[in-house]
Amino acid sequence: MNMINIKVAAIEQVTPLVKHFTFVNKDGTALPAFSGGSHVVVSLDINGRVHRNPYSLMGSPEDTSAYHISVRKQEKSRGGSEYMHENVAVGMQFKITYPVNLFSLAKKGRKHILIAGGIGITPFMSQIADLKRTGADYELHYAFRSPEHGAFVSELEQGCGTKFHCYTDSNGERLNLDELLSQQPLGTHVYVCGPNSMVVAVLEKARNFGWPENHIHSEQFLAPPIGEPFKMQLARSNKEILVPAEMSMLEAIEAAGVEADFLCRGGVCGRCELQVLETDGALMHNDHFLTDAEKASCKKIMPCVSRAKCERLVLDI
Amino acid sequence: MERGYWIRSKPVYTSLMWQEKATSHLVVAQGSGGMAVLKIFQQMHPKQPITVLYAPSSDSIVDYASTLKKVVPEGLQLFDSVQEMLTTLKEILPTMYMGMRVYVAGSEGFIWTIAESAKEFGIEDIDMIKELTGTLARSIYCVHCKAITHNITTNIGKCAGCERMLFVRDHFSRRLGAYMGLMVDAESPGQLPEIEEIYP
Ligand code: FES
Repeated sequence: MNMINIKVAAIEQVTPLVKHFTFVNKDGTALPAFSGGSHVVVSLDINGRVHRNPYSLMGSPEDTSAYHISVRKQEKSRGGSEYMHENVAVGMQFKITYPVNLFSLAKKGRKHILIAGGIGITPFMSQIADLKRTGADYELHYAFRSPEHGAFVSELEQGCGTKFHCYTDSNGERLNLDELLSQQPLGTHVYVCGPNSMVVAVLEKARNFGWPENHIHSEQFLAPPIGEPFKMQLARSNKEILVPAEMSMLEAIEAAGVEADFLCRGGVCGRCELQVLETDGALMHNDHFLTDAEKASCKKIMPCVSRAKCERLVLDI
Repeated sequence: MERGYWIRSKPVYTSLMWQEKATSHLVVAQGSGGMAVLKIFQQMHPKQPITVLYAPSSDSIVDYASTLKKVVPEGLQLFDSVQEMLTTLKEILPTMYMGMRVYVAGSEGFIWTIAESAKEFGIEDIDMIKELTGTLARSIYCVHCKAITHNITTNIGKCAGCERMLFVRDHFSRRLGAYMGLMVDAESPGQLPEIEEIYP
């Protein structure tokens, strides 16, 4: 896979749990162009093991002199976010993928309602830059736990003015989805990024009010869960490998030197899909991509987030 | 027609059915489409507000306006022409909210006239429930002179613009609300296959 070599130019502690990283091209030239809502996958070599995590680009798409990402330190991290917080320093170099957009704004939308929860604010930061540039009608609704966890609030207040609404949970402020989604003009699109409960609530509410599917957008990268170790066979590469408890199938495949496709590494894009040739146990599908019927058929698996509980698993790679 | 073969641009029409999940309902019909409106009002009425717009059509012998007045409990507006209806539609749509369901019934030309107006307000045609009533007659656009000829009921029709004999295809332009028409006798002028009525 084609990668970009970057250098960490700045690090800023934004909230007790969130750090903002600024990346520049290692050779000092401009970085590839991107559109609002794009993400990159950051590749980190931690004690000889390669970690690859997706992060949304937060900067303005008009500025390609640097990329900006924010990382929330996860409590049950498999190491990636903790490493970013504890070990990454200004001047360090690593590789990232080219930006990919799986959460783009609907070009024909007449109005855009953006709903963010916590660190889910990041993809909206670049989208807002796009919305402001095109003069589109939008509203940003941002909910977070308590005042000290409201990352980028003052920046957003300044940049978005009355279009910005925030809800501090510890002050008892709640976003009223009924009010928000029942009275939007025709041609409005809704976008949500945040914790699972929030994403589910927004999707359900919009659907119940009769919003067409193509007006409802969500982004929720899943972190690969930690599980039991298991063995799998890669038929085309003729290899048998072990998937350790803290590695995803995709990471194990890559660690074995086999090249595999991916875009989001979070179970949403579908790019990493592999055919299951044989299995004698259960596949534990954790993705948001396959349909329930496909999951039940045990013929396909998304190795970036899913696992298996079996003695024998043969994949077509 | 070959089985399992489908032109993607060819529109799909169904029967009007209330969509339960909605904030309001807008039913728009012309001429014979009035029957589809009477049928949908035989189903259990949804609880959200309903608006019904109806205009008669010259190609439908029956004018359903008086029956609709008896059947539609609220929100019925009657018009003398589609033009008048469109003016009202353009006033109503900006006041409507997301979750409004749109139901359209009438001739193909009518359905796509409404779709074109609705599109300006961000409603896509796939999100509208469309019932084709009365006739299968097609409008065709001539790929040679760009003229549009209405009410073609046969496999081959004469272009109103350039008078070429056009074969009526299944390729449909949503923007024009018409099917593609291609000259039939380009290779052997004057030699026409049999002309049959297939869109009665
Ligand atoms: S890489 Fe996107 S679903 Fe696996």
